[in-house]
Amino acid sequence: MHFRLGRRWLAALVAGVILLVAVGVYISLPRGYLLMATTTSTRDTGLLPYLLPEFTADTGIEVRYTAVGTGQALDAGRRGDVDVVMVHAPSLETQFVAAGDGRCRNLVMYNRFVLVGPAADLAGVRTASTTTEALRRIHDTASRFVSRADGSGTHTKELELWAAAGLDPSSFGAWYERTGQGMGATLTIANERDEYTLSDDGTWYAREDSLAFLSLLYGSGDPVDPVLQNQYSVIPVNPATHPAVLGERALEFARWLVGARGQALIGAFTVNGHTIFTPNGVGAC
Amino acid sequence: MTMNLQVEGMRKAFDGRTVLEDVSFRVDPGQVFAIIGPSGAGKTTLLRCVDFLQRPDGGSVRYAGREAPTDPASLLALRRRLSLVAQSPLMFRGSAAYNVSFGLCVRAVEGSELTRRTAEALAAVGLRDRSDSAASKLSAGEAQRVAFARAIVIRPEILLLDEFTANLDPPNVRILEAAVREFSASTGATVVLVTHNLFQAKRLATRVALLLDGRIVESGPVKEFFEAPQDARTRAFVQGDFAY
Amino acid sequence: MLTLAGDIAAITLLSVFISGTSTLVATAIAVPLGVTLGLREVGSQRLLRNILFTLYGLPPVLAGLLVFLLLSRAGPLGSLGLLFTPLGMVFAQVVVVTPIILGVTMSVVATVERRVKETALVLGADRRQLSITVLREAAAGILTAVMVGFGRAISEVGAVFIVGGHIETRTQVLTTTIITDIQQAEFGHATLLGVILLVIAGVVYSLLYRLQERTLP
Repeated sequence: MHFRLGRRWLAALVAGVILLVAVGVYISLPRGYLLMATTTSTRDTGLLPYLLPEFTADTGIEVRYTAVGTGQALDAGRRGDVDVVMVHAPSLETQFVAAGDGRCRNLVMYNRFVLVGPAADLAGVRTASTTTEALRRIHDTASRFVSRADGSGTHTKELELWAAAGLDPSSFGAWYERTGQGMGATLTIANERDEYTLSDDGTWYAREDSLAFLSLLYGSGDPVDPVLQNQYSVIPVNPATHPAVLGERALEFARWLVGARGQALIGAFTVNGHTIFTPNGVGAC
Repeated sequence: MTMNLQVEGMRKAFDGRTVLEDVSFRVDPGQVFAIIGPSGAGKTTLLRCVDFLQRPDGGSVRYAGREAPTDPASLLALRRRLSLVAQSPLMFRGSAAYNVSFGLCVRAVEGSELTRRTAEALAAVGLRDRSDSAASKLSAGEAQRVAFARAIVIRPEILLLDEFTANLDPPNVRILEAAVREFSASTGATVVLVTHNLFQAKRLATRVALLLDGRIVESGPVKEFFEAPQDARTRAFVQGDFAY
Repeated sequence: MLTLAGDIAAITLLSVFISGTSTLVATAIAVPLGVTLGLREVGSQRLLRNILFTLYGLPPVLAGLLVFLLLSRAGPLGSLGLLFTPLGMVFAQVVVVTPIILGVTMSVVATVERRVKETALVLGADRRQLSITVLREAAAGILTAVMVGFGRAISEVGAVFIVGGHIETRTQVLTTTIITDIQQAEFGHATLLGVILLVIAGVVYSLLYRLQERTLP
């Protein structure tokens, strides 16, 4: 009697554990949906919650995504942990396909990068005639600038722009700050600290209302400065190197995105009244 | 079933201090063997060695003529035929009845037999109506009575009592001493009573021994021991020349 | 990207499921082990204790990283397909929570009065019966261990983010959603979820307290 009480609790505990783990298995396996790794900016613009349900309605395929940095998204593809990757870092994407991890690279759409900063704009970015000039002005006035510094597409582009202006960020003074985080977080910090930063226009327009101390200063004119173009691609992970991925469904997803329906939806997507994505889909799969 | 107890040449030291030097005695079934002596003389250590809570440094202990077995299962079986009541008892979480029936449950006694024997043991110490009381709420005297009931309900063949009425008030002492008498008379078990209370020894014991400086100085039937001790130290002790 | 009440309910349910399951699994592993180890009065316990205290200090993010590398398709347990799943998150939290419950249990058992063990032994208890007796006497302390473990699990964000991936409707829990809310400046929503977290913790703790009261002498 004394020691059977212990047995009752133990039995209840074991039964509870088995039951819960069984539920855990049920809701975890098998993974019936298409899993995509993408960047935080794709999520922050609101494009995915708009687009993905349409795809599911058209094809019956459920898509879910994990939004991490570009580097981690491509790494997830390299590990075979996701079925498809959607990022905006052309040089890294090409490597990804060349290494055999990506099946085929499909251009989907582009938006643009813009320079945002304090409304007072003491560096005079607003009146610069080229991107290089704008960045030089920030550098020469040692105005505070915050970088994502996270290996993302945006960060990669930022480094390219500094290089094009003949400047090396590793030699910058304390006015150049790094967050190591996504666009939304970086914009929040820039807003708090009155800093300039490079942002994609989608995230900017999505967040504009909560960024009272920042303004869009450079890059919103048409046509888009080619150097500020932010090209997105969708790359199904290669089933030949990663047999566990849902290869066929990933293909279908990529084709849908670059097909007429997907492209039309992308072109119609607005954030706070702004159309930010220009569809330029090219199917390669 | 009865079992006699034979201790020979027991030695035990703690941190270089010798507590038991060369202790030898024998207790037969039906006897109540009182060991008296000054505090710190090693009486508690002696009982703890007999009940395997401590290991002596030397000497032997024989139970029904045989030394304790070494394999754990047999040792456990032997241990279950002994019982020990310490000076201040530890009550397990639960009721008085839970505490008393602990040893029965250990020995896989269950159901109506467990209930019956538990009730009998509690009645023997006058606590039948406190059966369901929380053990932690019992007074010191009641708790000790529960501890005693807990020890005898399992029908031990050797019962070891270590100053088991020290610090209790006279009514509780009376109840417990009566219970010891009843137990000894009805079961004929071997009882070893360690006490520093000479009067209790006189009341309960059939044989008495004096433990002094780690040795048994003298032992004998209770009447002779108190009325005509042979050793001068014994005489001095029972006359109260020692502080104890 | 505000979510509706139904979504919040789903997120909450998943949080409770993952933290509850991992606490239960960790308890099932850590308590018997803790009682057994706590009862052993062996010198080697010092080595064990050093290892344990190091594991106490195991940052959840590090545990998350290690479990991530383990469960990734490219990793040794990749064929299980558990990365980015709720079960994978449970696994990660079990790694985080088990040392905590184990350590507190060992501590509680070791400080159970020596007389408890002696009394049980004198009454003839074998090792199993002794363990159960000690467990009964230490029950209140062990429930504290479970509460501490659950507290860690429900508030944990690093490991579940890394191993779960915060996939909406699938591996999205309260803590990871608070993080992404903050990243998107949805502070009101984040605060709401934080309050829900507090309420859950409060409810679970009060249930465990009630249970604990029944284990006091």
